[in-house]
Amino acid sequence: MPENQHTDLFEDRFATALRDTGHSFRTDDPAALVTGGRVRGRRAQLLRRTAVLGGAAGVALVGVGGALLLPGGTHDDPRRTSAAAGPARTASPSASASPAAVSFTGDDILRSLKELLPKGTYSEEAAEGTGSMMPPHAHVVFDDGKGAAAIGLSLNRVEPGSEQARQVTTCPDKAFVDHDGCTSTRLPDGSRLMLFRGYEYPDRRVDTKRWTAELVTPKGQHVSLSEWNAPAEKDAPVSRPQPPLSEAQMKKVVTAGVWRRVVDAMPASPKPSVTSEVPPQGVPAGSAGDTLVSLLPDGLTVTDRGGEGDYAFLVVDDGQGGSLVQINVQPGMSDVAGQLFGDAEKLPDGRLVTTRKSPGEKGAEGVVMWTADTLRPDGLRVVVSAFNTPAQHQDATRDAPALTLTQLREIALSSKWDAGA
Amino acid sequence: MRQRRTEDYAEFASARAGHLYRSACLLTAGDTHLAEDLVQETFGRLYVRWGRVSRAENPAAYAQTVLTRTFLAHRRLRSSRERATDTFPDLPGAGDGDAPLRLTLMAALARLPAKDRAVVVLRYWEDLSVDQTADVLNVSSAAVRTRCVRALGRLRELLGEDVHEYSRP
Repeated sequence: MPENQHTDLFEDRFATALRDTGHSFRTDDPAALVTGGRVRGRRAQLLRRTAVLGGAAGVALVGVGGALLLPGGTHDDPRRTSAAAGPARTASPSASASPAAVSFTGDDILRSLKELLPKGTYSEEAAEGTGSMMPPHAHVVFDDGKGAAAIGLSLNRVEPGSEQARQVTTCPDKAFVDHDGCTSTRLPDGSRLMLFRGYEYPDRRVDTKRWTAELVTPKGQHVSLSEWNAPAEKDAPVSRPQPPLSEAQMKKVVTAGVWRRVVDAMPASPKPSVTSEVPPQGVPAGSAGDTLVSLLPDGLTVTDRGGEGDYAFLVVDDGQGGSLVQINVQPGMSDVAGQLFGDAEKLPDGRLVTTRKSPGEKGAEGVVMWTADTLRPDGLRVVVSAFNTPAQHQDATRDAPALTLTQLREIALSSKWDAGA
Repeated sequence: MRQRRTEDYAEFASARAGHLYRSACLLTAGDTHLAEDLVQETFGRLYVRWGRVSRAENPAAYAQTVLTRTFLAHRRLRSSRERATDTFPDLPGAGDGDAPLRLTLMAALARLPAKDRAVVVLRYWEDLSVDQTADVLNVSSAAVRTRCVRALGRLRELLGEDVHEYSRP
């Protein structure tokens, strides 16, 4: 029996069996799934309002920081946590060396935040304290008389000295995240502070501004403040030209000593959410993308990027318009060498290389896809393709991709991929 | 406005909950607890992006994509535990008539790498084309074909040619 027929017969039988099996699963309580989803969504919205790293825009915060200073939490310390109407004392586990086993309610967080803000009125107040499953956070709509504006604060812990700690206070590259200004500085107490003036939508389809201040202390206390020039971060009309707080005012808020005590009062390291978008340890965020960027020839501007782990895409521009470049780095592919590299060139060191020009895979008009496909003797496959369009489903916007087959081949054969494998 | 949004979301989610749950059960190789968690997480993400989702050409397909990516993000975090075990997953209703097929198929699916399993579910349960599957997984069509061939080969080894005998007559 020919191999194809063999496979097809099994394929059909398997598909039938899979459908039968799938239909045999019944949820007892679909309404609970719907409600549970809404609760998670609302929580995420609250968090998102307050966390600059939230959502898909959290990618690619790469760049280099500078250095600036602040008096380390002195005279403007807003309030001792044990002050009037202060936090309840609890027996909850206190994570680090906090002076007392205290906890903070959502109202405590809101009160402290308001004390640090200029005069104005508040609406849509929401907050959760240290007793919640979520990190402590607060959200208000603040109006200083010049237009209502959303303000969000979130508090969390990061591993001191970790990549995450570095990333949250590192200004993003303008090629990846458009913004009007960003400074990253080191304060006298060793904390790092990033002040970022950017936009809610990186593509600026709506000009809602989002300004943030990110503070990470040497102990890993992370304070994140965001403000918008609209009463909501999305789907609300812009209400004023700029968000209400100046950079100096944002700095004053995030450096207040009270927030460090709140972080210290958080229960010990909550387990990361199973669905967190943070990549696992050992797989640096955007690793394939970073390597790909480092291998690009001179004269190209990266205008967009994405992907994760072993897959990445870039849109590069050589002055003639965007050209999509995508890469897959796949270990353990020796078993398909015959299928993929049947007539490939074999280099002296055993690596297999093949290049090809083919029509795009998504059926858009005039799209071509140029590909270099390589397989190392250890089974690592690196395949990189470039297109004559910024997006595969879009019609061709230029005659040829921005990279030649020779350049694609050089990229795919780079030894940098071996190091990361 | 919020009220309307919540109602629209609830209507959509109620209509899709059953199907997404079944998809999630297959993706998780029969781990129904994880499946519930993934569906809730998917709905949570849809809720947050509801404005965009409701305007999408095919909100149901959008939901399926979010579910699949949520599952893969989960598996990536658990990659050290990716190896299949010899124990059968915790299956409800293991005593009913579907049990032999379910147990056997789920045990086989559990032995596939997560991405291969996602390819199999999208291709043979969701009936997506290779290109559509590639879009959902953010990989090339060639990568989907490769994974599909490999996964089917492995499943044939595990299930044998007569997989249909487990199925309903």
